[in-house]
Amino acid sequence: MAQLDLEIRSLRKRYGGFTAVDDVSLQVGQGQFVCLLGPSGCGKTTTLRCIAGLEEPDDGEILIGGRQVTHDPPWQRDIAMMFQDFALFPHMSIARQVGFGLEMLKRPKAEIRKRVAEVLAAFEIGGLAERRPASLSGGQRQRVALARAMITEPRILLLDEPIGALDYSLRETVMLELKQVQRRSGISFIWVTHDQNEAFSLGDLVVVMNHARIEQQGTPQEILQRPRTPFVAGFVQGNNVFRGRYTAAGAGHARVGAYLLPAGGPPPAEGAEASFSIRAELLRFNPPADWPNRLAARCLTVEYFGSIRRYILQGPDGALLKLDQFGAEPATIGVGEETVLGWRAADAVLHA
Amino acid sequence: MSTIPLRSPRAYLLALPAAAWMLTAVVAPTLLILWVSFWGGRAFSTASPLTTQNYERFLSNATYLQLVLDSLKQAALLMLLCGVLGYCIAYFLSMKLRNPRWRTALLLAFIIPFWTSALIRAIAWVPFLGVNGVINQALLWLGLADQPVEVFLYSRTGISMAQLSLYTLMASGPVMYMLAQIPPALREAAMTLKAPPLVVFWRVVFPLTLPGVVIGQVLVFLNVMADFATVATIGGNKIALLANLVLNFYEGSQIRAAAVVAVLLMLCMLAGVAAALRVVDIRRLGA
Amino acid sequence: MHWKTRQRLVTWALGTLTIGFLLYQWLPILTLAVLSFSGPTGGTTFPMNGVSLHWYRELWAASFIGDFKPPLWRSFLLALACSGVTCVLSVASAQAMRARFAGHNAFFFLLLLGLMAPGLLVGFGFALLARLLGMEPAWNTTAFIVHVSWTLPFGFLTMLAVFNRFDVKLEEAALTLGANRFVAFRRITLPIVLPGVIGAALFGFSLSYDEFARSMFTTGPDNTLPLAVLAQLDQQLTPELYAIGTATTLTSLLVILLTTTVLWLSRRRAAAR
Repeated sequence: MAQLDLEIRSLRKRYGGFTAVDDVSLQVGQGQFVCLLGPSGCGKTTTLRCIAGLEEPDDGEILIGGRQVTHDPPWQRDIAMMFQDFALFPHMSIARQVGFGLEMLKRPKAEIRKRVAEVLAAFEIGGLAERRPASLSGGQRQRVALARAMITEPRILLLDEPIGALDYSLRETVMLELKQVQRRSGISFIWVTHDQNEAFSLGDLVVVMNHARIEQQGTPQEILQRPRTPFVAGFVQGNNVFRGRYTAAGAGHARVGAYLLPAGGPPPAEGAEASFSIRAELLRFNPPADWPNRLAARCLTVEYFGSIRRYILQGPDGALLKLDQFGAEPATIGVGEETVLGWRAADAVLHA
Repeated sequence: MSTIPLRSPRAYLLALPAAAWMLTAVVAPTLLILWVSFWGGRAFSTASPLTTQNYERFLSNATYLQLVLDSLKQAALLMLLCGVLGYCIAYFLSMKLRNPRWRTALLLAFIIPFWTSALIRAIAWVPFLGVNGVINQALLWLGLADQPVEVFLYSRTGISMAQLSLYTLMASGPVMYMLAQIPPALREAAMTLKAPPLVVFWRVVFPLTLPGVVIGQVLVFLNVMADFATVATIGGNKIALLANLVLNFYEGSQIRAAAVVAVLLMLCMLAGVAAALRVVDIRRLGA
Repeated sequence: MHWKTRQRLVTWALGTLTIGFLLYQWLPILTLAVLSFSGPTGGTTFPMNGVSLHWYRELWAASFIGDFKPPLWRSFLLALACSGVTCVLSVASAQAMRARFAGHNAFFFLLLLGLMAPGLLVGFGFALLARLLGMEPAWNTTAFIVHVSWTLPFGFLTMLAVFNRFDVKLEEAALTLGANRFVAFRRITLPIVLPGVIGAALFGFSLSYDEFARSMFTTGPDNTLPLAVLAQLDQQLTPELYAIGTATTLTSLLVILLTTTVLWLSRRRAAAR
């Protein structure tokens, strides 16, 4: 088996009575792009800081490149980090700043100068070498921060909301560039974000966290299509979540409330509270007669996003539902109209 | 839009009383000292002829020149001591002390004496330093000395000890302010770039607090140069520095000589401030 | 050595230094306070020869040393006047700074000058000016003018800091609700910056009350309290001086404590409402 770049074993971190990270385990193979996704306060940043060595975990182990580093300080770990506001040193020129890591590794001066010039050129910021951070734009600062972190070619680059400080219009280009930089360098990226668009478009592996724990980890497709918990289903966009009593229905099927669905995984106890989700694009207006799941609803509003059209509907029990159609198709119903919608049993996903 | 619009002419009206007050009470007197220092003759009159004789007389006196040198030396010593001690205290209070309650308590403990009279605080050193003073009694009791040491009261050592307690916080305060301005992420960034703590301090923290260090040094310098009360209280009449000379000449009705010393004192201070401004731009501190 | 051990050692060393200096700063003041309660046969140093209020009684009766009560009264009045003027002028000048009028930088430095200029020089210079203008120096004229030039910059900087943190949108809200500028200032701005104003007043009072370098040249025959202390010190250091030092230090601490408590309580009550 190939060497893992990073392995975390049941990591725990408490602040007084508050548990910030609880039993988090994670394996990152070589050159992987991992996104830690979750709402603020979910423990993703604390996890990242434990990997960096900026926080000391109370329990658990961290291995970087197979080496035990749980209690090593940051300067003895094979990592680099990009901070939320970039944390550029205001008193150093860009060249000095970018060369700082090599200077700390006590490389010869001539080599540092050469490498800095190369890296600045590679990131297209060669012209800024003698400038101070205060005179740079947000995009330029981001490049400097990245150059500074990557020049020592660490095994892992940790990124704490690295594009959160950028203008919205810049983000997409920067994301694409970062993804390419990551592929070319072969360095593993651990990227912390609360923005699911970032996580799903960048990550090879997405780790969804909530209340100090990992809710689910997997590829973007796995997480979007098969949310494992009601939290994940609710947190990622485009899911309708239903709750009800669980009853077995035979032939690999089950019911939650009145709705039929596949009985995946270890089944909950008969009669217990359970939940499942169905993606908005899998709902249909006026479903074929053989679809088992259907309900009456009234259209509250229609949102048009170009590629999709989203209907917000209200079911008979007052719950809100969303239904997506391709934006290119004409609108099916209008605001205020009553309709029936339904879905196939196989498309629903039972939560653990 | 606010209760006072930008560039409102009413601002001049609001600023005028304070400006007039400061011009009358600070600027005019200072310029007057400069003028009087060039007055010839004996009468206190604006009609006095201008001359450089007052300066020549002062500068040809070796005792006085030695006094200028002594004052500068005293200031340099205090700048060094207060600077180092003040920096350590600022660093401990803002970086090492994590518990906010303890920090507030310690800060208060430092600031409270600052609110009390400097004169009283100088006097408080007298029972400490005398031949029968607390320090000597402690030394005898501990067996560190077999007879009272006389170097404390009426000596430069005693003056320096009292001034150290009076002025260290002036060196500490601006550094504390600058330390609080440094985002923790900067130190963390340096650590993740493989810098061990000492290097983080020298390459990141210290350079960023440099403006605070310089301001503190200026404050200590100005205060030591102008301090006559501590010198008079603890030095008795045996020791005088430049500031005491102004008072002595004034009380001896040698107005012109007092003005000359005052001008020299001002020049020393201006040179000190100018040197400091070369290192940091004070106006940038607020930004 | 392990890096954590080294870190801990540095912390301990710095902590010891800090606590050590704190003691160094406080011990003389505490010693002064303790010695002020020494017995009738006690001197200006240990041993105390008993504990008594003897020196406070002596101070009040003024049997041996000069009477401190009139200078105390003068110092109090002078400080009160300085406090009032500082309040008004510092609010006015900080409000003026908000308009960023042409020359506001020069104005700022002019006020800063009052902070940087040593009292010795300001006092001496103003004494010369007064003599030139034929003014007789007195505690309630010349000394008052010079004192305010010392207390005003502190009040000004306090108010400047307060206005920096002040949210202009609150005033804008008042103005859009139909208040004119004067009403908006009085009803919205002033109540919000009030703690700062009180801070400026406290600065004004205590700085003037303790001031002696400026007073020295500008007070004339009727002394203020610090000058009376200095004059007595010039003759002889007596335990009465300890008593007066202790009494004034305690008084000013009490005033600060009282003001901050009242401020804190009123803010808490406002928050609870």
